[in-house]
Amino acid sequence: MDPVISLNLRKSFPGFQLAVNADLPAGIAAVFGPSGSGKTTLLNCIAGLDRPDEGEIRLRGQTLYSDTDGINLPPERRRVGYVFQDNLLFPHLSVQDNIHYGYRLTPESRRRVAPQQLVDLLELGPLLQRRTDGLSGGEQQRVALARALAASPDLLLLDEPLAALHLSIRGRILRYLKTIHRELSIPMLYVSHSISEVIALADSALVLDKGRQVALDEPRTLLGRSDAAPFISRDSVENIFDVTVTEHLPESGITLAALGETTLALPQIDVPIGQPVSISIRASDVILASEKPNSISARNILESRINRVDAAGRSILVHARLEQPWISEITPDALTNLNLREGGPVFLIIKSSSISLLD
Amino acid sequence: MGVIPPAREPPVLTSAELHALRLSLQAASLGVLLGFPVAFGVAWLLVKTQMRGKLALEILVSFPLALPPVITGYALLLLLSREGMVGRFLNWAFGIDLLFTWIAAALAAGLVSLPLMVRAIEVALAGVDPRLEKAARSLGAGPIRSLLTVTLPLAYRGMAAAALLGFARGLGEFGATIVVAGNVPGLTQTLPLAVFTDLQAGDDSAALRLVAISVVLAAISLTIHHVLIHRRGSLRRQWTPS
Repeated sequence: MDPVISLNLRKSFPGFQLAVNADLPAGIAAVFGPSGSGKTTLLNCIAGLDRPDEGEIRLRGQTLYSDTDGINLPPERRRVGYVFQDNLLFPHLSVQDNIHYGYRLTPESRRRVAPQQLVDLLELGPLLQRRTDGLSGGEQQRVALARALAASPDLLLLDEPLAALHLSIRGRILRYLKTIHRELSIPMLYVSHSISEVIALADSALVLDKGRQVALDEPRTLLGRSDAAPFISRDSVENIFDVTVTEHLPESGITLAALGETTLALPQIDVPIGQPVSISIRASDVILASEKPNSISARNILESRINRVDAAGRSILVHARLEQPWISEITPDALTNLNLREGGPVFLIIKSSSISLLD
Repeated sequence: MGVIPPAREPPVLTSAELHALRLSLQAASLGVLLGFPVAFGVAWLLVKTQMRGKLALEILVSFPLALPPVITGYALLLLLSREGMVGRFLNWAFGIDLLFTWIAAALAAGLVSLPLMVRAIEVALAGVDPRLEKAARSLGAGPIRSLLTVTLPLAYRGMAAAALLGFARGLGEFGATIVVAGNVPGLTQTLPLAVFTDLQAGDDSAALRLVAISVVLAAISLTIHHVLIHRRGSLRRQWTPS
């Protein structure tokens, strides 16, 4: 498959140089790295808001920038949508006028998304007549997303869309992004410094450090790569899943939720049956056992197989596969004692109290 | 007749005074009308572009602020005279001579208020987050559309305040006006010139009436200016449903 975005560019500031050479496939690609690694500069170069010093940027076969051919398309001709970190909604326009801004400027033949479709997908109906400065962070984010998508971009850039949001609604925005990608099949380039988000959302990830391209790989694989692992904060590795609430058991104080064919027991939550929610389980809270434990207080025991063991640093990440890939973090000592091998059976044990709700 | 007419105490302004008032308003308004587009262009160049020679441009448009208005007026006089570049052109193209007309007074007013307007518009433009314009560009708006649909709507209060500041300054213009427009009652005599004439003639009561009018005019325009500048946030907030 042809790459959607083909990047080969360099840009210097005093004391900083960004150098990227990567072909990103369709789907959701992540740009991952610590702050100051050049993530936003890269996005600005793709959007045409910053000008690279040299190189070439191509989107779906069209050259957006090329120093050798002297091409530097202005932002308005690139058809690249941009969701900025702080949203940058137009304060003098209503939510509806914000969403229609780019739509009106898109020639009819180019329009692939109707604003109403976005309003429905992102559940913006009740907000349309509001002004933007009274909106909550999550609401602003959804409006910014709708505004960018209404211009029917060929590529959507997202600069840390979850960074400014309260933890409690991160899951909801993640689900919106997945829905958008599924329904509209617009390729996305997603900047993040959270490996858990990247794993939950992206198909591929470009790792940057101080402007240098460190790795380009499948997000889970990055965790085991010795070159990329130093830039990933291990204590932040979480398993993020979308589940559907199936049953409330008030007398036990738990709520049952379906994760594919698996049923998980969560602490009781006040969410109607049938509603999707996002949950997060820290990798260090996923306990492993080589045999099925008989009497144990933890409510969730999942039988699985070990996909891969990444031994980098002082902890070990064990990737197990059910319908969804899971990550568990254990000590090297535990790995030896349990005699865990790739391909071998393993039981994942999760206390319901270590499952937290993301929306 | 048995009744003694009230001696030299007109209940309202004399026609010459009314004329001075009208002329002042005319000259200050036309001055803003002509000066504002120039001031906007200069402010836009200074705030929104990376062009070279910004300092030189800034200094050039600020001269009327630092120089005595008489000198500004003299420069304008040289330009507008038959030997001056502008004057020669106007005479050649339209057969007109602007010197010692109320339009020359308007040009003088516009010129001295130019630096004030440039500064106020600069502040208004700088108050608009440039990244909002970038957002507009990424949504498909060209530079001009982004200026018209994002920058101007967000800066219009500050720019209206700039125009009002220029108007207030134009009303009070004296030194440059007397050089280029003279002091012809009923023709080019604006309020400040009329006050000066009354004072020269020792007619203090007439001067004081004009002073009162000037104070009222200044108070009105400065109040509106203040409202435009300081109510920015609260006016917007009042639209937000709580």
